Amino acid sequence: MFAMRPSPSQPGGRVIQVLVNSIIYASEIAIIAVGISLSYSILRFANFAHIQYAVVGGYATYVGVRLGLPIVAAVAASAAFVGSLAILIDVLVFSRLRAIAPEGKMIVSWGVALFVRAIVASVFGGSAIILETTTVPIRFGGAIFTSLDLIVVLSTVGFMVLLHVFLYRTRTGSALRALASNYDLAVTRGIPGERMIRLMWFISGAYAAIGGSLIALETRLQPNMDLIILLPVFAAVTIGGLSNVFGAVLGALVLSLAQNVLIAVDFGSLVGADPWFVPSQYRDYIAVLAMVVVLLLRPASARRAVA
Amino acid sequence: MVDFAIYALTIIAVWAVMAISLNIQFGMTGLVNFGQILPFAIGAYAVGIATELDAPWWAGALAGLVAAPLAGLLVILPARRSSQDYWALITLGFGELFRLTMLNVPSIAGGADGVTVSRLGDRNLALGLSLALLLVAYLAAQRIGNGPLGRFLRVIREDEVLAATLGRNPMSYRSTVTAVSWMMAGAAGVLYAYVIGYIAPTSFLVTDTFIVWTAVILGGPGRNIGVVIGAAILILMSVSTRFLADWSGLPSDLVANLRLALFGLVLVLMFLFRPEGLFPETRRIRDVDGR
Repeated sequence: MFAMRPSPSQPGGRVIQVLVNSIIYASEIAIIAVGISLSYSILRFANFAHIQYAVVGGYATYVGVRLGLPIVAAVAASAAFVGSLAILIDVLVFSRLRAIAPEGKMIVSWGVALFVRAIVASVFGGSAIILETTTVPIRFGGAIFTSLDLIVVLSTVGFMVLLHVFLYRTRTGSALRALASNYDLAVTRGIPGERMIRLMWFISGAYAAIGGSLIALETRLQPNMDLIILLPVFAAVTIGGLSNVFGAVLGALVLSLAQNVLIAVDFGSLVGADPWFVPSQYRDYIAVLAMVVVLLLRPASARRAVA
Repeated sequence: MVDFAIYALTIIAVWAVMAISLNIQFGMTGLVNFGQILPFAIGAYAVGIATELDAPWWAGALAGLVAAPLAGLLVILPARRSSQDYWALITLGFGELFRLTMLNVPSIAGGADGVTVSRLGDRNLALGLSLALLLVAYLAAQRIGNGPLGRFLRVIREDEVLAATLGRNPMSYRSTVTAVSWMMAGAAGVLYAYVIGYIAPTSFLVTDTFIVWTAVILGGPGRNIGVVIGAAILILMSVSTRFLADWSGLPSDLVANLRLALFGLVLVLMFLFRPEGLFPETRRIRDVDGR
């Protein structure tokens, strides 16, 4: 049982390893989660199709690599493609349904998700695809991770800082925040609502594509990866308060930490028995449990405005 | 061919019960349940577990009928004061948790391999039972929909605050609706297990919930006969996938995926162009005098 988990020999190494693993996983989840918060804050509905944007992003990166693009260029092309796809879906579907109830939009977004998922599975087939990368193991302060993990964390941090600067230091970003806090008032004051919504879709689609590509690099591509990331991403967004963009990042961190700590603690030894760990496939239980706990503690969080 | 027609009708009846059950929740009350597959799976797994324990057939059926509504009340509890977004997420989450439990804990019901259940040998009996269940579910749903309960459920759907100001507790009505409709879905699951004769986690995916949703949106939310016809159309398309694959020469998983794409497209197109469904709910307009 012990051999299955990386546990460096130095004292305190395990704790650091758990922290490192949490940060890596949180990075993958957070970059996808912010897009859901972004669209929720302005359009007031939970977009389930967003998960598929991440999946499409992963596959688009794979196509780029197959066409001979270097990996960074492939991810950039994938982000641009999925961002445009998100705009296209808005023009074709969501923009025509601005007036209906949020529940209706949520159901429609599932229809879109089902469609996109089935198309991806039709084109690429059901079997898993692995994106080959060369990684170097890194030892740092008693923890072990790969160079790829480092790139994942650094790029997520970089893109979050970029989003923060955009939202809080530019006029366009302020306009987006104004739309989130009071759409009608912002439009009355001359902010071009529909154009800003398209920009918002591009950003959330592109971020989802980057997140999907990072997950594809870290694990592998398969059509049912949507089910694997669905619960953690929505749990992170829920913990963060749905419409709070950086709350989603915090939510991803909290969730990831809870998941990694719980599967790393030797509960058996705690009660004086043989070593016993929570099996790692129970991560999803922690995600759903976290959603339930958040709901019980702060049910009003759904109505909070953007960061 | 006759055998296939009987089988198709049986499966249509089972899924039509699912559509009616979702219709009571969403169409009448406005509850967005994204985990409708959960009570269905509970019903089916109750049968599976009973089989593993060598219990008589009625014990499994009874367990499914009791466990499904109880699970519904447990799931609705945390979502009590929250908006529909969260209700959707919570039901979706619990549905997935149940599937993952069955997948990851082989000691309960065989894990990924599933359980083989003694199938109803007589095809006509299976069809008869399914149609009987459909009839019972339909009559119950009609009775709820046309009676004072249904009228109040529609008030909750249209305006929860108004419903609360009428001096009644919307939450207790929602709990009633959840219990009734989850029991229906549980019964459908029990029957499904006995008709198919095999239960595995792959039969209870999120996608299956959305087939039921597509049936309800296609048929007409709020209209029982509409959602039954919606389910019939979709399940006919599903069961004919095999023939379509043979006829077109395409691989059957590709045809299955294209079918799912079509379902997604139907859901979106209905919302865009005919949100009231093929068979819209009849508007109930009454004069104050009651004429």
